Amino acid sequence: MEFLTFIDLSFLMLVSFGTLVGIIFGAIPGMTATMAVAVCLPLTYALGLNHGLALLLGLYVGGISGGMVPAVLLNIPGTPSSITTTFDGYPMAQKGEGEKALRVCVIASLVGGLVSALVLFLFAPLLADFSIKFSYVEKFLIILLALSVIASLSSSMLIGIFSGVIGIWLSLIGDYSVSDGGNGHTRLMFDFMEPYLFEGFSLLPVLIGIFGISTILLEAEKGVKRDMAGERIKIGKEGGFSLSIFKGSFTNLTRSSFIGTFVGMLPGVGGSAASVLAYTQEKNLAKDSSQMGKGAPQGLIASESANNALTGGALIPLLSLGIPGDSTTAVLIGAFTLQGIQVGPLFIPENHDTWYVMMTALVLANFIMFGLMFFAIKHIAKVVMVPKHILYPLIVMMCVVGAYAINYGIMFDVWTLLIFGVLGYLIQKIGLEVAPLIIGFILGSQAEVYFVKSLESFGTYSIFFTKSPIAMVLWGLIAASVLFAIVMGFKSRARQKVELSQMHDPSHTDSGAHHDSRND
Amino acid sequence: MASDPLSVSIDFETSHLFFPHIVHWVLAGLFALILVTKVVPFLAAVKRGERTLPIIGESRDSARFFGTLALISAYFYLMAVVGDLFPYTGYGFLFVSMAFVLAMSLMYLHEWTKKALIIVVINAIVAPTLAWFVLAKLFTITLP
Amino acid sequence: MLTKKTLMSVSVAGLMTGLALSSSVAMAQDAQLRGNVRVVIGSTSTGGDTYQNASIVVDRLAEHLGLNMKVDAVGASSAFRTLDRDSRGNTLMIFHDQSYLGYLYGVEGYDDVFENYTVGPTIAINPGNAYLVPMDSPYQTLDDVVEAVGNGETVRVAIQPGGVSEIGYSALKNAIAIEYPGQEENLVAVNTGSQSDKNQQLFDGQADIINGSVQANEQYTRLPEDDQKAMRFIWLTARQDTIEQAPEEGLGQTSREQLLEYVEPNVTVSMGDDENFTFDKEFFFLYNKDMDQGIVDQIDEALAEIYDEGEIQQAQLDAFFIPDFKPSAEASEYLQEKMSRYEEIISNLD
Repeated sequence: MEFLTFIDLSFLMLVSFGTLVGIIFGAIPGMTATMAVAVCLPLTYALGLNHGLALLLGLYVGGISGGMVPAVLLNIPGTPSSITTTFDGYPMAQKGEGEKALRVCVIASLVGGLVSALVLFLFAPLLADFSIKFSYVEKFLIILLALSVIASLSSSMLIGIFSGVIGIWLSLIGDYSVSDGGNGHTRLMFDFMEPYLFEGFSLLPVLIGIFGISTILLEAEKGVKRDMAGERIKIGKEGGFSLSIFKGSFTNLTRSSFIGTFVGMLPGVGGSAASVLAYTQEKNLAKDSSQMGKGAPQGLIASESANNALTGGALIPLLSLGIPGDSTTAVLIGAFTLQGIQVGPLFIPENHDTWYVMMTALVLANFIMFGLMFFAIKHIAKVVMVPKHILYPLIVMMCVVGAYAINYGIMFDVWTLLIFGVLGYLIQKIGLEVAPLIIGFILGSQAEVYFVKSLESFGTYSIFFTKSPIAMVLWGLIAASVLFAIVMGFKSRARQKVELSQMHDPSHTDSGAHHDSRND
Repeated sequence: MASDPLSVSIDFETSHLFFPHIVHWVLAGLFALILVTKVVPFLAAVKRGERTLPIIGESRDSARFFGTLALISAYFYLMAVVGDLFPYTGYGFLFVSMAFVLAMSLMYLHEWTKKALIIVVINAIVAPTLAWFVLAKLFTITLP
Repeated sequence: MLTKKTLMSVSVAGLMTGLALSSSVAMAQDAQLRGNVRVVIGSTSTGGDTYQNASIVVDRLAEHLGLNMKVDAVGASSAFRTLDRDSRGNTLMIFHDQSYLGYLYGVEGYDDVFENYTVGPTIAINPGNAYLVPMDSPYQTLDDVVEAVGNGETVRVAIQPGGVSEIGYSALKNAIAIEYPGQEENLVAVNTGSQSDKNQQLFDGQADIINGSVQANEQYTRLPEDDQKAMRFIWLTARQDTIEQAPEEGLGQTSREQLLEYVEPNVTVSMGDDENFTFDKEFFFLYNKDMDQGIVDQIDEALAEIYDEGEIQQAQLDAFFIPDFKPSAEASEYLQEKMSRYEEIISNLD
């Protein structure tokens, strides 16, 4: 119990401070947990390893959690991993249940964070050995499984898949990166674009452009009416939150937390895949998932518990293989190297005290996050009371900061905001769907690398089926997911037909091609 | 292995085109399907006058819509230009953001009351300054 | 309505003119660094060796010159582009041998740095570039590998293509071509990405040798033999002289003495003409071609003074880097010579 000597008042203060700053970073559209950790990294040199880690882990947990706020209230994912939170969070906010949605998110986040911390503490070395069983082939199948959500996410399966493939196509623009083992050649663009697009479009500017800027364009088109602004979200008791929402969510919570931990654990499978995968599985496996995407708390629970479970998961390969599990832990590794501490398979046995300190900080950060958020929600939810003529310019400004800062100062990333803002606007106008497109974009480039590298190594397509028992299980899940989407598609078509015959309303005949009716 | 119908060999030099090719074919196939099942019936409906074309056939607040586009473009462009005059101080962001926030707020503001204007002006000065101070000064994030 | 428009345009125009006027003051330049200086690096990682090295040097340089300096991990392609646009000296770059190796390997986005940029002073060496095999590999030494390949056995080496990670592989291939002409085709590259990908190739049995580093793989070499993750070093590409300057305690639990077992003359890779191949990953500054010579000299002098004080060397050694300061003229000549040696190896294989 020697590590307890490290845990003093300043330790607690640093965790709290880190969590608070992290939440603020996460809550500002465009600022992410990764950025929060990166900007505070130099501070840790002065603080020493243990206190530095207290700060950074606070930032990490806070940053991941803070992403829920703009996702729910403004329909802009604060961090890439909160994308699925917008699917149900924003519809709830529009129904006036923003505060309730946020409370659900906070509790789910706490559970996810704690479950993953527990898993990390008990099974880190064991799981690290398991994670290296996932080669390119299995990682490709995981991505494919996450992509399969596209089929069931959209009102028309054909349009959804088409949008998703466009997203994948967009993600391939740029070079086939040498740092992924590619040959470094560029494709899908003209020569004059190369100076700007060599590395392709970056995820974060694409995300906030397509969600943030296009929303503003759609509003501008309607003249930025004053109405609704204040009424859109009911504050206070009308929020209607009670713990009973979680009744029957035990499986969902547990499943999503484990999915989050597990995806976080796989190096190279991006963090955003975690919440997408958890969302998919809830959609497929829940008894009733018909309301998901229209404002169902179960969607929030899946998304938020999974993305907070990432934290513990991503630390597993970092601390037991020396390999970061996501982009934030990749920055975190700097804190160790700055202090001259090696991370690798022998980190935990050789640095017992630091290990316990980290676990303490992680668990504390989750509780502090809960404390700060749960009681601040009432005030945070008032963001939507701000008149639009004040709010919108500020959103654009903060999106600019986030886009510019994400790759440490690249002006093209700011222009990406506008490009994808306009694209997002057009997409919604012509009836394509944004959510599948963005999921395709997030997962597309990884799908490519794992797919091509698998084939390069094994030289046959059959390897995807025969590689290992893990691959077979993953195929089972993919098949189930696709099958489910088809069954759901038929059901909803049948339901539509019934509605149609009752309503005789021509504008509902073709929900796919006229998806924009929602925006009118 | 040689007789395996699924066998494939990827030349490293052209491996950057392997996956995009597949994506192109899938896209083309899906597009054709959509053309037949969705777009053609839709256009027929437009012809009969039951539906309107998106974007072209819709009403919109053109001034605010195109104003937003123009303002954002000018904002991004000037930020880099002004920022280049004061290398890496973030002044480009600071000053141009003030002008942008002010201009956009005024454009979206429907009733120009004195109170509303004061709030708009204060917001345009305080918000960018705060963002600049916290991010560029405290956290030393590079801003344009 | 008219007043609204007027107020709006005044608000915009007023700020613009104000800015244009005040800016002319800042435009005046003489041959000194001034204002805020941004140092872009060729890596996107803030946890990697380039960032670490850059921040050690830049922190001290900023203090010494009394300027605001900031390291930004923008990555190679963006870093070169940012540097291209600014000849005032507000943008500097720090990168390593990848800057010219990328060009030699014909990777898109890399140009001849000696032609398009001014090469600044070198600052440090990362001596850790290493090649490893699984603990239970049949190959005990690099000679075993060369012999096996010479006898027609296929050996797969996991590398990241197009640069620092590939150069050792190319040299090995070249050495095999010298000793066993025609057999070098049996040494094949497994092109992969990050360190985790390379390790994974080894665990999957898809590679027999991987490129790695002392820093990232040292703990793997100390795992018990029955652990499937256990590895062994077989070759460090650094010069013997470089490793000798490392701290005596080495890194982790591997002492300098042990590390010396994996460099020349214990492990040799022939380049022909009785010369052995070595590769030190050196970090150096790159400047815009048109940047004033005054600034080049200013940084050279400042760094010379910093290195004279002797504190920076300790900081570098603590982080397992070997201090290696050469002023820009010397560095440029030295690196150009270094490049031509590697150019030969790479062109031999084509």
